[in-house]
Order: sequence, then C-alpha cells, then structure tokens
Amino acid sequence: MTSKSDGSSFYTMGVDSGSLTGKAVIIDGNRRIVSHSVKQLGFVSQKAVMMAIDEALEKAGLVLDDIAYTVSTGYGRKRLEIAGKNLTEISCHAKGANYLYPEVKTVIDIGGQDSKVIAVDPSGNIKNFAMNDKCAAGTGQFLEVLARALDVELTEIGELSLQSDADIKISSMCTTFAESEVISLVAEGHSTVDILSGMHKAISGRMKGLVGRVGMQSPVMMTGGGAKNIGLVKALEKTLGVSIFIPEEPQIIGALGAALFANDFATGIRKKVEEEQDLDKSRAPAKDCGSCSVQNYQLNKN
Amino acid sequence: MAVQEAKRANRLKSGKLVNKLVNEYWEDLINAKKTGKKVVYTTGLPIGPFMAAQDMAWIHGEGYGARVAARHEEKEPQTFAENKGFNRELCSYARTQMGCAMFAELGVPDDLNPGPIATEIPAPDAIVTCYPGCSTGPQWDWAIERVFGKKIPWFNVVIPYHMGRNGSTYMKGEEFEENVKYVVRQFEDLIKFLEVVSGKPFNWDKFQELMGVTKKVGKLRMEAMELCKAKPAPASFFDWSIQIAPVNYLTAWPGTVEAMQAVKDEVQERLDNGVSAVPNEKYRIFWEGIMNWNKLGWMADKFASYDATVVAGRYTHMAFWHEPDTIDPEHPLRGIAINHLECQLNLGYPITEERMMTLSKDYSIDGIVFHGARTCRSFSRSHFLLAENLNKKMGIQSTSFEGDMVDDSFYKEELVNTRIEALIESLEAQKSRG
Repeated sequence: MTSKSDGSSFYTMGVDSGSLTGKAVIIDGNRRIVSHSVKQLGFVSQKAVMMAIDEALEKAGLVLDDIAYTVSTGYGRKRLEIAGKNLTEISCHAKGANYLYPEVKTVIDIGGQDSKVIAVDPSGNIKNFAMNDKCAAGTGQFLEVLARALDVELTEIGELSLQSDADIKISSMCTTFAESEVISLVAEGHSTVDILSGMHKAISGRMKGLVGRVGMQSPVMMTGGGAKNIGLVKALEKTLGVSIFIPEEPQIIGALGAALFANDFATGIRKKVEEEQDLDKSRAPAKDCGSCSVQNYQLNKN
Repeated sequence: MAVQEAKRANRLKSGKLVNKLVNEYWEDLINAKKTGKKVVYTTGLPIGPFMAAQDMAWIHGEGYGARVAARHEEKEPQTFAENKGFNRELCSYARTQMGCAMFAELGVPDDLNPGPIATEIPAPDAIVTCYPGCSTGPQWDWAIERVFGKKIPWFNVVIPYHMGRNGSTYMKGEEFEENVKYVVRQFEDLIKFLEVVSGKPFNWDKFQELMGVTKKVGKLRMEAMELCKAKPAPASFFDWSIQIAPVNYLTAWPGTVEAMQAVKDEVQERLDNGVSAVPNEKYRIFWEGIMNWNKLGWMADKFASYDATVVAGRYTHMAFWHEPDTIDPEHPLRGIAINHLECQLNLGYPITEERMMTLSKDYSIDGIVFHGARTCRSFSRSHFLLAENLNKKMGIQSTSFEGDMVDDSFYKEELVNTRIEALIESLEAQKSRG
C-alpha cells in the first residue's frame, strides 16, 4: 500500500490473545485509534481472536492487506501468524496506558489468568513489574468461578458488592479452596452481596502485596477486564488509599499498546526503506523499471 | 524485547565427564550388597566421605531423586508414593525416593511400569539425616524408616540455622562459632554411630585423604565459576548445575579432581578464545531458587534464545564446598561444619541478602529469576523480600514463577515464558533509558 504524508492511510494493528478474551485495536499513522473489538469465546480462543480482528477491520473499513504491521500480545501471542512480532502484556499494557494517560506511573492489570502491577516510565516503558507467580488466584478466572458458584452474572458482581456494608473475610485465594469457602459462607446464611464484597476485599489485599513489591506511585491506572468491576475498583482504592483512573475500555489497553509498538516497528522499517532508497538514488541514476515495487512498502508480516 | 527465534545454549563439553562418574557410582551402589558393603541412606548435605571412609555405600536422597528425574523415570515412583498417602504437595525429592524405596520393599504393583533406575535402589542398613533449613528432611527419613519396619538404625545431624544474632555475620561471630562447635560434636557422635554400623574403627587416614580430595574439587569448582565473572560468561548456571554431582553425592569419588580440572580448563580455554555460554550475551541473570532437574536443557536453551546468560545462582554458588579454604584435611570436621552451616539454605535473611548482593555485584547481574519450587517452600521463603530489597538497594529487576525440583506437573510452559520474557523486555527498556 502507499502512504499518505498525513499518515491517515497507514495502519497498524495490535492483537491481544488473552486467556479469556481476544482483543484487536487498529491505529492509523498518526497513532489515533481507528477501531477496536473485544470477543470472548473460550480459553486462549483463536476463534475469538480472529473474530476480534475481523470486527476491528470491518469497523475501520479495512481489509487485512491494509495493515502495515501487526504485533501480538497475551497468552496466545505466539500463535498469531500474521504478527510480525510478539511482546508480553507487561510491555503492551505499559505502552497503552502511557498513551491514554502520559502521567501514569503505576498500572494495575487484572486479566483473565494473571494479575500484574507495572511501574511505567514517562516514555511508556516498563520500569519494574510484579506478577502473580502462577495460579489464577485473584484474577478474572477466579471471579468467574466464584460468580458461577453464587449464580450471579459476572457483569453484575461489581454493582452488587457495593450494596454490602458487612465485613466478611475470605481467607483462601486459591480458586478451588475459595469456591469451597464461598459454598460454606452461603451455607452459613451470608448474603450474596456480602460474599461478593468479601471477595473483592480479598483480591485487593493480594494486589496490595504485588503493588508493594513494585512500589506504588500515583497516578494509578487499572486495566484489563477486572477494571470493569466497579466493586473491585472501589475495594482496591480503599485498600491502596489512592484514586484509580479507569480508561473507557480497559480491556483493550494491551492490544492498544501492541498496536503502538506495531506503529514503532513499521515506522522504523519505513524509515529504513526510505533511507535505503535515498542511498540508492544517490548512487545510481534512476532506471525505468516497470515491475519495480520500490515505492510500495511491503512490510514483513511474518 | 524478547526474540522470536530459538537458539541453543553452548554447554560445556567436559560436563559429560560427570556422567561417567555417576555411572560408576551407581554401579557400585546397586552391587553394594553383593560385594558385602553396607548401604546408608542420607539426605541433605554432602556427607559421603564419612561413609566412604568406612567402605560403605551411600544413597543421597535428593541426588537420587534428581537422577531418576533426569532419566525421566520419576512419574511412576511419584505416583506410587502418592497412592500410598504421600501427598503431591510434599517434597518431590522425598516422594520420588519414597516411591523407589517402596518398589524395593513392597514390590512393583501391576498397574505401574517403572524404569530400571527407579527399581534398583538397595535397602538401607542405616539412615543418616543431615538437613539444613528444612523440617521435611528428617520426617522424610522417619517415613523411610517406617517403610522398612522401623528396623533401620538412624542418626540425625541437626544443622542449626545461622540466624545472624548479636552481630554474627557470614562465617563470623559468636553465634557462628557456637554453631560450628555444636555441629562438630555431632559429627564426632556420627563417627561413633558409623563405627557401630560398619563394625570397625573409623578409618581416619582414609577420611583425611578424602577430605583433601574434597577440598581440591571444591576449590577447582569455585575457581572455574569465578572465571564466569567475565563478560560474556564462558559457562552458565546450567553448566554448574550439572557440576553439582561431584560436590554433592559424589563428593571425593575417584576421578572427581580430574573431571573438575577438565571443566576448569575448558572454561579457561573458552575465556582465552572468546567463546561464550550464550552466543550473543546481552543480559546477565541470577537464578534464585532450587534447580529444576528435568528442565535443565529446556531452561538453558530458553535463556539463550533471549540472549541472556544465567551466570550465577544461590543454589550453585552458595553451597557444596563453596568455602574450600576452611577445610583442613588433617582436622576436617570444623571445615565440614563451616561449609554446611554457611550453605544457601541455612542462612538467616540478612546474611542471605548480603551474600546475594555480593554475588550480584561480582557477576554484574542485570536481573533475577526467582524459581519458587512448589514442593520446597523452605528455599523460596524469602523470595518476595529479596526481590523487593535487591530492587531497592541495587536497582535489579526480577521475575518469579512457580515450578518444582523433580515434578514437572507443576510447570505451565506459557506461564513461565511470559514471566521470563517480561523480565527481558523490562531489562531492555532499562538499557534503553541508559
């Protein structure tokens, strides 16, 4: 494809193949978000990823060939063949958060399988980070399992938990044991809203430990599906003693960061190609070559 | 950022010499009863020379578990032990050896098909426990004793923590000196115990000779590892993990001096010729945590793919005759006690942190990988604190993941990949900031 000088027809894409959802973000050459999509089907679902990509392309009025470069992130990042590079969610969330809120210093991401805290520098690079060591305790999966056990829709648990003023303690953060503990609390007659509130407090306590390892600095942003849970956000704000900035669509921040990295790579490649062209032009007189595709930036998508 | 292509670690060729020694040791062990030798089960620290002096064979429980795992025969004994009530969350070394011991004592059940190494373990004539920093070890030997009907003589050497009380620091202070004396007294009693089990007076001449060998091997290993302070490092933590056997259960085994000399020579040769352990070393990593024996090659290649050399580790660099100069072969008990008391698992937090900071400085460490072994929490008890303090005091970033020593069911590959790649990306960002 050709590139307009204003950058509006130069597109890159970020794809976040997460443990529970697939996300895609397309940005233009001016690094403006053109479209995005979030799809949920199953664990690290390739189908969800492809659906998210298709929807993002459709919303932008583009086809895959219009995308100059793609970067993938998330657990399934290495399985996406159209990606030129893959990066971890840590780098991508830092980059995406910095783009939306350049002053941000700490990012808390509660995703499907992982929870992480990232200290971000002014350029959007990682300064330090901490993650849960392995198990899904305190993650989106943890909340999904417990919501199911309580027969509540995942999207409702945040608002419901805010109705509670009880102080229920859930001591186990292991998803399996916590499920047993919740069953025990239900059997003891505690209300659903009180148990949900207890769950959010338990997760906040665990996140405080991760935040402590990185060293919290304000402003703080929360990303990932967990940020859509207002009960969890409020519990975290109380536990950490700070206000937390929530972006309009917290689930796409990783994909947004990946799209920004894709733009960096593509711009770098484009610059290199242009420099090489300039060098070639200075070395030899231009020849008429009908099949030459020098002006078409065929960026490596593999 | 993390590279996409696979690269191979350039492992030391001389590392293979260890295999020959291990095979000789193993042949000697499985034939021990036939040649009239008594067999002693040991766990914890390397105390082989005590038994070797009395011409007795010994099985080191962890070394044995690691060998079974390295041959990928660990699943069957672990399953058998679990079926007999030894929970999956218990030390995987112990579960592996327990399963093997039960194969030997109870026979192999029809539904299991263990490999040859897992079924060759001879029954014990005595048990000697010598565990630092772990309460599971003595209970493991207690369970072994019960498997064999409580008829096995058992001696437990208690290695007290070196907490760092009243200003006592690494190899210094009143607490340290008291602990050394306490352990030496126990070694004197151990010698009396072994005289009874073997039915002959302790052979001090042979013991002193073996401790002379131990000192030489320990010194060669430490000198070879120190050559890796160079950038790029000529060998890696994964090479040093292979070299644990000659300073652990093969301590003072015939041929260990020559094998370790060959290793040191190869490292020196690489250094002279600019050959590195990782083809394009960009990052230098410290491995904090016990080794994962069935993932050695996998891990070595993984870090090589990221242009990262794991140059040092607490497991390799802070134990296994790591203070060879303290050993006086004429009067060896004090030197043995010092090496065992000041090993990686037995130090209080302030001393551990100080030792890690020293190693991180000496080996120019960029980042730390904390491997939390699921079934060895005694090793990972200070990980979060170490991560926080080494970052605060030295600006070293880290990542942590959960795995295990010899139970690979605790690994989830992509979870490990993400955490290591995130560290590499973070280090790259740090370098770009300057």
